[in-house]
Amino acid sequence: MNNPKIGWFCTYTPIEILEAAGLEPYGVRLDSGKGHEDVYLGDSMCSYVRSCLGGALSGEYDFLDGVVMAHSCECMRRLYDGWEFKRGDIKPGCLNLLDVPRIYTERSVDFFASEIERFKQSVEAVYGEISQQAIIDAAVKSLHTSRLLSIIDGARKRHDTPVTGTKVQEIMAKGMKTNRDAFNTELETLIANLGSGDDRLSQPRILVYGGPANARLVEAIEDAGGLVVYEHMCNGIRQIRANQNLKDDPIRYLARSYLSKPPCPRMIGEHGIFGLSRLKRIAQEYKVDGIIYFTIKFCSNAQALWPMFKDVLAGVVPIKMLEGDVSPDINTREVHSFVKNLSRRLQQHGTGTEG
Amino acid sequence: MAPAQRVKQNTEQRKIQFGNFAAMTGLDEDAMTEAAAAQFAVPASELSASHKRGRLLADQLLRSFNKRPGQSDIYQFVAWRSLFMPTEIIYAMGIMPFTIEMFAAHLGMSGLAGGRLETAEGSGFSPDLCSFIKTGAGAMIEDILPSPDIILTTSHLCDPAAKFAAHTAHRYNRPEFVLDIPYGIWSLGSSISDIRKLNEAVGYVACQLEDMAEFITRETGIKLDMPKLTEIIGRTNEARRWLMMGNDLARYANPVISKGSKELNYAANLMQTWGTEEIVDVYRTRYEEFQAGGRSGRTASSRPRIIWFHLRPYYHNTLLGYIEDHADIVHSQVNHVFWDEMDLNDPFRSIARRVLMSPAYCPVRQRTEMIIDNMHKGEGIIAFYPKSCRHFHSSARIEAEMMKQAGIPMLTIDGDCIDNRGDDFLVLKTRIDRFFKSLRLQARDDAEPLSAQGR
Repeated sequence: MNNPKIGWFCTYTPIEILEAAGLEPYGVRLDSGKGHEDVYLGDSMCSYVRSCLGGALSGEYDFLDGVVMAHSCECMRRLYDGWEFKRGDIKPGCLNLLDVPRIYTERSVDFFASEIERFKQSVEAVYGEISQQAIIDAAVKSLHTSRLLSIIDGARKRHDTPVTGTKVQEIMAKGMKTNRDAFNTELETLIANLGSGDDRLSQPRILVYGGPANARLVEAIEDAGGLVVYEHMCNGIRQIRANQNLKDDPIRYLARSYLSKPPCPRMIGEHGIFGLSRLKRIAQEYKVDGIIYFTIKFCSNAQALWPMFKDVLAGVVPIKMLEGDVSPDINTREVHSFVKNLSRRLQQHGTGTEG
Repeated sequence: MAPAQRVKQNTEQRKIQFGNFAAMTGLDEDAMTEAAAAQFAVPASELSASHKRGRLLADQLLRSFNKRPGQSDIYQFVAWRSLFMPTEIIYAMGIMPFTIEMFAAHLGMSGLAGGRLETAEGSGFSPDLCSFIKTGAGAMIEDILPSPDIILTTSHLCDPAAKFAAHTAHRYNRPEFVLDIPYGIWSLGSSISDIRKLNEAVGYVACQLEDMAEFITRETGIKLDMPKLTEIIGRTNEARRWLMMGNDLARYANPVISKGSKELNYAANLMQTWGTEEIVDVYRTRYEEFQAGGRSGRTASSRPRIIWFHLRPYYHNTLLGYIEDHADIVHSQVNHVFWDEMDLNDPFRSIARRVLMSPAYCPVRQRTEMIIDNMHKGEGIIAFYPKSCRHFHSSARIEAEMMKQAGIPMLTIDGDCIDNRGDDFLVLKTRIDRFFKSLRLQARDDAEPLSAQGR
């Protein structure tokens, strides 16, 4: 079955609408531009967005039938402008620019539900009517994916964490490009075969916080001897929807589910603050020894959040801030040095948040 | 924290903060208070519009520290607002807005921003971030800003400002209210779906504004006086009319009747003074000054006419003087009135419409088309876009290509409004000279008969 593929860029895009229309969502993430950077957006944009537009201009996404963009931050808003401005040179057109509220309140859920309804109508205009039942079915399957991912995630709280961060990254990357049913089956098989990770007991346990991270980041941490147990990133936990009540109208359910999920630095107000305070608890639950805060250069939200992040989490565990881009290049020396320090600390004092 | 406890804390903190602020300027508190009192002794009627505006801002800043020139201290409720937060409700509740970006501009003009920038960067604020915010952050870390009672933030246009507001709420342990603003409303069309979206957006923001008033009451004990709000919106409408009339005179007068670089200081559509009695007087005086200038009998000028995009460099610089030696800045994006007169009978929805209808907060193509439609023969654009302002800097190439297609000369300068560490006028001079040359050539082509142009 070769359903048309529709590209998406931000985890605040309710891809269930695409699935309900019989389309295949395709997450443009770590492979965003394959090294091609555009010039249309200037050199003060984050490398993720520039590489996305660069990839589009060089034909990397010609296999897509269209794309949908979320107005999630100032860089993503400009991706839409660049895509629209060069529409004559880019094959997949933009179906919809989805406005995503930056706060999570009853009022913002209402407004976002209307936006999702408009998104649905723009998809219907090209691919035909989407029934309410189809949205419910897509939401149920998506919720199942989130539950399966949560099981894997929960297992990472154990001392003998059964999966490495590198493996989880591989799973998440696959999930962004694989048919939902096939992916759920794969996750079920993986869960059934989750073993024990006794050999990882002495490794420092690391939480990674950031945006759409560098493709090599988690691997580099684990190559240096660390074990990544939690990825608060766009290609990590932020893809797990919040567990909301599906008895609600399905569109409103989607609105609530997306706005209440673990927040990206774009979110402000109480939910944004809640996301930071919750990190303290997460660090304890996952027995984290250290945090790596990775920000893509020119990501205003992540860069501007950092001073507050280190204030809020001061004294919980050691934190290392790394700045980079989406290319696989990474400052391995800094990563090695941090992991080595954590290992030494572990040997001297025991586990970070437990000690 | 109970409002009374917050007032007690703020009273003590602001005494220290005012001392720190004075020390930063090289004065002691008494010298600063005396200097302010001397400045305020001059009757308003003797001041120019620009001086009236400066005095209003100085008065507001002092009041935020509980100070009043020539009078005893009195507690002032202060709301830190992000740059695009409307002020009418704040004034109607007797609260003084404090805008971090305006304070940063003030420090930039006084040559005091550099130290604050270094403080912020040394404390984890990335060099890539907006220099207005970084200057404010440095000032916050050095404890020279008046402690807020509450923090009011909008979500639109500037991501770092919204994040910084959350940081200040955490740092000062003060409650924050966030006003979420939908995107691209100005660019909506007249289809049923677009009209529905407009109404939903207006309703969404209007309800949040009502929530904001309730939030302020909860956190300060001050209730919103609706007749007062109506009166304040009336003042905003009146000031808007004077501003627009002044803008029209300045844009079309030849010889010019305004000094563009001074005009940029108004930055009218960002200011915290909307709704005050004084700002009505400021814009009325400005209009009267322009009218008087128009009667001077000077001869018309053929100098290039510039529309200025974004803000100016606030620090001491050679750039603006050089530009004004060769051209006239006749209008600016920051003084453009983009909103309709507000309906006194529908205050929340009117304010919501005003916030939503910002052309700056909509897709680049639509806002650039609007600009192209409003350009006149002989005018060129200088866009002074700080690299640290993602929103504007990232649209420069698209705008420039669209302007080029429309035959409108445009010069983009990668500058910074506050941070002068990368200022290099000589590098820019060649580009500016070439730009002026293209404007002069275009003026000559426009003047030549079409038959001559076809040769």
